[in-house]
Amino acid sequence: MLAGQRDTLSKYALIQSKRLKVLHQFFDERTLYPRDPRFKSAIYDLEMMQIFSLLEDQNITLREGIYRNKQRIHYVNRLTDYYLGAKYLVIEVNDDGLWQNTTWKHIMIYGLVAFLLFMLLGLYLAKLFLKPMRDAIVLLDRFIKDTTHELNTPLSAILANIEMMDQSVMVEKNKTKLNRINIAAMTVSNLYKDLTYLTLEQEKANFDEEIALKALIENRAEYFTILAHSKKLLCHLDLEESSIVADRRKITRVIDNLISNAIKYNKREGSIIIELRGKKLSISDTGIGIDETHIPLLFDRYARFNDTEGGFGVGLSIVKMILDEYDIDISVESKKGEGTKMVLTW
Amino acid sequence: MVKILVTFCLLNFTLYADNVYERKCVVCHEKLPVSLQSMFMKYLLVYGGEKNFKAGLKHYLKYPSQHISVMSKLFIDNYYIKNKTDLSDEILIEAIDIYWEKFKVFNKLK
Repeated sequence: MLAGQRDTLSKYALIQSKRLKVLHQFFDERTLYPRDPRFKSAIYDLEMMQIFSLLEDQNITLREGIYRNKQRIHYVNRLTDYYLGAKYLVIEVNDDGLWQNTTWKHIMIYGLVAFLLFMLLGLYLAKLFLKPMRDAIVLLDRFIKDTTHELNTPLSAILANIEMMDQSVMVEKNKTKLNRINIAAMTVSNLYKDLTYLTLEQEKANFDEEIALKALIENRAEYFTILAHSKKLLCHLDLEESSIVADRRKITRVIDNLISNAIKYNKREGSIIIELRGKKLSISDTGIGIDETHIPLLFDRYARFNDTEGGFGVGLSIVKMILDEYDIDISVESKKGEGTKMVLTW
Repeated sequence: MVKILVTFCLLNFTLYADNVYERKCVVCHEKLPVSLQSMFMKYLLVYGGEKNFKAGLKHYLKYPSQHISVMSKLFIDNYYIKNKTDLSDEILIEAIDIYWEKFKVFNKLK
């Protein structure tokens, strides 16, 4: 920061050294040490003995360069010729602090300009680098939106026809096959509901009402029974009466997604425990668990950490969106290989 | 009688001058066109501090050479370099100390 002062003081030192040269030549006819109203000076010999000094602050360090000492700035210059036997010429000026203000002003202005330039450059580069990713997401969103429309009719037809089939006249082999078709159709139906919510329904107005959670959870657990049986899962429901004011469609999506995940990522013959106590709902499984490092990324859209099961990675993103909307807190406790517990509190 | 007295006084002054510097240095240098003050400043310009100055001067007096002389080439061409001193180290140091004290810049600047 003293660099600006250095130029001025080195100029003073040059002027003073020329005056010392003249005095040296005419010593000892002339013995008046050269003075200048702009600065004070002193000379020291090779052995750092003071030859003469006009300095107000005598506390000097004879190291070459510029430094501040309280309210004064000292500039030490080494002379190449020892005029009057002087090796060190010290120039002293009062530090009025103006240079500091000017320097700070310059730092602020140039810093701000540089900051803005880097910001703009950063934004431009970020936009440039993120463009392929953004394009891919837009493409995926568009694809999902387009295909969702086309899924509805065939899916409804499959599910309706399965329900209408008379299983009592079927042989056991065909019953098993129909059951598999039913499970597959339910999985697709669940995915369809997620995609519909994401692309079409999430912007619809809410119809908030008081929902009896125990009944709703029992209903959704019943709905997923066939899916759970396909993996021979045991489902324990421990539900107390509890309610929440929210849109039924949205809360259903949350419960469906959490139960569906607990089934999908569970081990065969594992178990699912759903507990509802007051304003706390927990859904635990004995499944594959999630790596601790992946937990913070769990609710990102299209985030998937396991390829053994199909899906778009939108389920938990929808869950988080809905929970945030209703200020419902969700915590994830998971141990790799042991299982996952999702706890909702409101 | 007066002549004898004056001669005696001059001889006495020369032989028993105040100090070794007056006796051994000034006598010869008085004949030169460059003053001892001027020579002092030339030494000071080259050697800087007191110790350096004294060491440099002592070395030159013991081993005079035109290569290490602080005087100009013109001066040397006209007056040559001095002869090697025959003074003992002790006397030489004493003379140089007096020379330094007489012409040093310290306490003379105003």
